[in-house]
Amino acid sequence: MTALATRTPTRTTAPLGRLAAAEVRWVLRRPRTLVLLALLALVPVALGVGIALTGGPGGDGDGDGPGLVAQVAGNGLVLPIAALGLALTLLLPLTVATASADAIAGEAAHGTLRGLLLAPVGRARLVVMKAAGVVTVAVLAVLVVAVVGVLTGLVVVGGPGGTMITLSGTTLGLGEALGRVALVAGWTVVQLLAVAAVALAVSAFTEHPLVVLAAVLGGLIVFGVLAAIPSLEWLQPLLLTSGWGAGTDALRDPLPLGDLVSSTLRALVYVVLGAAVTVVRMRRRDG
Amino acid sequence: MTAATSTPPTEAAASPGDAVAARVRGLRKTFGSTVAIDDVDLDVPAGAVLGMLGPNGSGKTTLIRMLLGLTRPTAGTVELLGHAGDDLPAALPDVGALVEGPGFHPFLSGRDNLLRAAAAEPRLDGDLRAPVDAALERVGLTDAARRRYRGYSLGMKQRLGLAAALLVPRRLVVLDEPTNGLDPAGTRDVRRVVAELRDGGATVLLSSHLLAEVEAVCSHVAVLQTGTLLVAGELAALLDADAGGLVVSTPDADDGILALRAAGVPSYRAEGGVAVPPGPLEAPEVVAALVGAGVAVWEVHRRRAHLEELFARLTEEDA
Repeated sequence: MTALATRTPTRTTAPLGRLAAAEVRWVLRRPRTLVLLALLALVPVALGVGIALTGGPGGDGDGDGPGLVAQVAGNGLVLPIAALGLALTLLLPLTVATASADAIAGEAAHGTLRGLLLAPVGRARLVVMKAAGVVTVAVLAVLVVAVVGVLTGLVVVGGPGGTMITLSGTTLGLGEALGRVALVAGWTVVQLLAVAAVALAVSAFTEHPLVVLAAVLGGLIVFGVLAAIPSLEWLQPLLLTSGWGAGTDALRDPLPLGDLVSSTLRALVYVVLGAAVTVVRMRRRDG
Repeated sequence: MTAATSTPPTEAAASPGDAVAARVRGLRKTFGSTVAIDDVDLDVPAGAVLGMLGPNGSGKTTLIRMLLGLTRPTAGTVELLGHAGDDLPAALPDVGALVEGPGFHPFLSGRDNLLRAAAAEPRLDGDLRAPVDAALERVGLTDAARRRYRGYSLGMKQRLGLAAALLVPRRLVVLDEPTNGLDPAGTRDVRRVVAELRDGGATVLLSSHLLAEVEAVCSHVAVLQTGTLLVAGELAALLDADAGGLVVSTPDADDGILALRAAGVPSYRAEGGVAVPPGPLEAPEVVAALVGAGVAVWEVHRRRAHLEELFARLTEEDA
């Protein structure tokens, strides 16, 4: 018994690193995470193949207007940025919302949240552990789109000798072009963390994962509608989605940082609010 | 034999100096206008196997959830292994619990589910596989350990829940309806595990509606009815208090009945002898009357009540 006593730790909660590692392992083994990541990988591939098939610069008048997608033709390194912009409208938020929904509401629905609280994992620690899983999903999701986007852009679409032609007409070398892609990827991660924080907060209030998904997707739609109403223009600075066009700025030369910075700050405010609500709610939540 | 009096709930095993594994005082929980638990005082003595009985909806699970800090009481205090209030979670590493059925993820195997649970156990260090495999072995799930939880039968799920409660040596194990969905072999296994825990010095709190189950393994009982604690205390004392009369084993049942009638004691034929309802005569006098009349007496024992009768009497007279 004494031998056992010296071996048995007397701490009252498991080490945070082990908890976070277990959480990340759990997240990555969940089939729906893998399905969503695979779907995300398809976005740049479908975009690249489509552009390669439909023609060269200027397009053949496909009616989609002079959007970012049109810029990709013959300019492969724009593809990851276009793909991130496209995925950010729905698929990326859906991915982090799913992860957040499963993180708390899903665990409650399976009765596993009780097990964690009884272990015990302290309630504040539980939020950190859950955040680790959700952040992992957000980063992986963006990485998948960016990396597959770069590869597809270089291989399928091709470009002017591994360079990127900016919207301003200048040409960036491969290194700087990849830097721009990384910038947009990082910016996208921060925007997704804002979505995830709000989703986690909702998740902390319910044991129905669908409620979280409905709240996040419904919220995005409502934000879109509000942004489209001219008399509500004063609301714009409050809406997370109103800064989501800023990713395109990375394609301008010189780089205009204004919108990228302001949308990042706005996202961080959402992160702080979401995290605070989550922690406060989890402190009192029944297990 | 000591004259056992029925134990009023407020004095349940509250003799000072007794080590207590869990203690609640004035515990109350309301959900809206529904009173789930109404002013319950209960002690779970250290080393006891306490069976919590009560009809469905009597508040057993709510009481257990408050005891473990999963639900906040509306009023009253909870003390668990010496920790109370905001400090309650500090007791939890030494508490194993299976509450409201097993909770696991369907896409993981039973073993991977336990590994995930083990990662959250403060008392485990280093390699988590050894304690996980030991717990699986203990509940007889080794063969199914690598199958997905999705495909488990109800009994296997219940066994896995039990394994999670036994991942670490515990001082207190709380089992809420542990035999739900188990076949007779599974029920026996639960009984064996409870006995092992008790022999190892752990305290066990067991809620059940299977009275025979409780009677077989428990040293103490607490009976709940619509959120009120009807009675709590040592099972043997409660049954003795509820018992009455004597059972006399004799081959000469007819002579025995006649002899007792002559002594002014009513009696009737029972299996293997004569049953004597509670009456004016004490046991030695009854035996003397029988022996005096030349009736062979093999054995005399006090008729012990069964938990079922006690439970029925308690819950029905109050209803």
